[in-house]
Amino acid sequence: DVNAAADLSTTFVAMADGSSFNVKLYIYDLSKGLARQLSPMMLGEHTSIVVYGEEFFFGGGGIMSCFPGGTILGMSDSTVDLGNTEVPRDLFQEYLSSLRESTYRPEKYHLFEHNCNTFSSEVAQFLTGTKIPSYITDLPSEVLATPFGQALRPFLDSVTITPSGENGMNGYGQW
Amino acid sequence: MAENSGTDPAVETNTEENAAASATIIKVTVKTPKDKEEIAIAEDSSVAQFKEEISKRFKAKQDQLVLIFAGKILKDGDTLGQHGIKDGLTVHLVIKTDNSCAFKGNTAGTANPSPAGNLGTPQGSGPSPTPTQPPNVLAGFGDLSGLSNLGMGSANFMELQQQMQRQLMSNPEMLSQIMENPLVQSMMSNPDLMRQMIVANPQMQQLMERNPEISHMLNNPELMRQTMELARNPAMMQEMMRNQDRALSNLESIPGGYNALRRMYTDIQEPMFSAAREQFGNNPFSALGGNTDNSGVQPSRTENREPLPNPWGPPDASAATTTTASGTATTTSSTTSSTTPSVSNPLGISSSSLGNGMFNSPGMQSLMQQISENPQLMQNMLSAPYMRTMMQSLAQNPDIASQVFTNNPLFAGNPQLQEQMRQQLPVFLQQMQNPESLSVMTNPRAMRALMQIQEGLQTLQTEAPGLMPSLIPGGMAAGIPGAPLPTGVNVTPENPPPSGPAPAPAPTPTPTPAAGTNTAQQQLMQQMLQMFAGGNALTQTPEVRFQQQLEQLSAMGFINREANLQALIATGGDINAAIERLLGSQPS
Repeated sequence: DVNAAADLSTTFVAMADGSSFNVKLYIYDLSKGLARQLSPMMLGEHTSIVVYGEEFFFGGGGIMSCFPGGTILGMSDSTVDLGNTEVPRDLFQEYLSSLRESTYRPEKYHLFEHNCNTFSSEVAQFLTGTKIPSYITDLPSEVLATPFGQALRPFLDSVTITPSGENGMNGYGQW
Repeated sequence: MAENSGTDPAVETNTEENAAASATIIKVTVKTPKDKEEIAIAEDSSVAQFKEEISKRFKAKQDQLVLIFAGKILKDGDTLGQHGIKDGLTVHLVIKTDNSCAFKGNTAGTANPSPAGNLGTPQGSGPSPTPTQPPNVLAGFGDLSGLSNLGMGSANFMELQQQMQRQLMSNPEMLSQIMENPLVQSMMSNPDLMRQMIVANPQMQQLMERNPEISHMLNNPELMRQTMELARNPAMMQEMMRNQDRALSNLESIPGGYNALRRMYTDIQEPMFSAAREQFGNNPFSALGGNTDNSGVQPSRTENREPLPNPWGPPDASAATTTTASGTATTTSSTTSSTTPSVSNPLGISSSSLGNGMFNSPGMQSLMQQISENPQLMQNMLSAPYMRTMMQSLAQNPDIASQVFTNNPLFAGNPQLQEQMRQQLPVFLQQMQNPESLSVMTNPRAMRALMQIQEGLQTLQTEAPGLMPSLIPGGMAAGIPGAPLPTGVNVTPENPPPSGPAPAPAPTPTPTPAAGTNTAQQQLMQQMLQMFAGGNALTQTPEVRFQQQLEQLSAMGFINREANLQALIATGGDINAAIERLLGSQPS
């Protein structure tokens, strides 16, 4: 009770300081458009975390970022507001760089077990203490539970999904 | 504020001896990006005390530690209780290095002014290719007009590709439209061309070295055709995939089958994946042409899997990526726009008379304009390795090229035009490879000048229609926007069908209302172009132009005048080269 009050007051203070940043989860439904035409999608959703005016995600190229909606997937299909974080941007960058060297190196990408959603989940936890919707994180294990999924494991071990959205997109604004 | 001490006085006294905690000891998991540790700490500790423990465990200085819980930064003066940190919960830790802001890593520039604060809104990522645009953009020539609306002005060709992909991603119809584009289809239906393009890629070559089966596959025209058939037909592909999946599951049940699959995968597919991924980067179609492995499993896997990773290939997909479909699309667009100078005349001849209203579209015009405005673009386009590969393949194989172009709907209703195209093709191809013409195309001033010339001609046409008396059918010379102009240089003299003698005003294949003025314009253009070309003979037909060379050839014993002429045209009047051609073609 008292703790809650303390939390609340801290939050207010933080927001008053202007040192609070909104965190959103972008969810991309990969089953529309081209992807649907060419392949049965195993991983229904790609997610990314949007904070400090940037979109962060994990893919075959490791942890990457671009401006929100700037990947080839365009704007997200749905968004979940994860609340606010006090973590300042430079601290977050440090955090990311640590992740880059450890658990989220590019080669660590695994379509089912350590993918963009894993990353989003972890970052969400770090930033806000909240989890992302469970249906996203549960999807891989559901698929893996099927015999089909199991059969595909060796192949999937090398598949990555990485929306490209690097600096190239930024230059586009000029035109 | 919560009381720091335990609420129970009895407990208080108990723990007087115990310095560790006055309340319960809780185990808090401290998680860094790299690892995590469980730390036992008193529930009522302050954050500073907590950090002390942490610094011992993690061997870091206390002031390097930043603790985060529930999105909040834990300040030294706070208490754990204040933040609701209880037993079993996880606290995040970041150990600050000296230069905390220094890393660049993979992220895009952290300073990104435009979307600052616009978390949900920026459509700036796709100013042109918003979903609403594709419908009008994709009417007809699909890729080409799509490109123009995609903002071909983007300086970076890579961006172009990416935009292309984005369009593809958001609009499934675009895919089928591209596939339906006869140009693309004819490209894909030509196994040799495909093969050449694939083989030209160095990574593919590596792959082929390691796995000779692949080169067998590639060399098997039947299989190639099948695969491309597959690529063209999504429904068929899915059917095939289903079959393959069934086959796969059967395979698995065979003893040792699973291992065989696995082996197949690791030996062949994996390098193929990586090669394809690197090479083809972001394009879903590329792999379709590139994965021709025969085993029952692979095609389904590749066609199944490749589209998954490829659309979002590794971010380091360089401009050197060869993409068949998008590359084809872009190359065809550029090739088409370049080889059909007349056809693409946005200012003069009505292209509807040529059977395709597309090129008259504002898209096309803006395309041309952008090309001339943005030399970098042309340069990028032309220098893209796959473009060169394409050109080489085409040049080596004029038949393919002519096939491709004649299948182009633009020429469909116009056999005369086709004829001319065929004539010009070798010359054109040569020219495209001619660094000089390339440099002209990339020279902004030159392009602008050419545009000006064109505009001037237009004005002239309207102002003084009677100025230029006549001729030159074929409408090839007229209205050549920017890039194709240099090619038009050598092209136009061959304009009149080889059968017709020069002066005969053969009926233009472009029955425009202003036929007279058009031809006038054309002739003017032609003359200018000839001057531009550095003074070729002013006469029109190749026959006349190469009169001297023809005589020489026949004196040498090459009596086939037609063949001589062809050879001369192809080599641009170079006798020696023409002789080689003639000699080379004789056995066949």
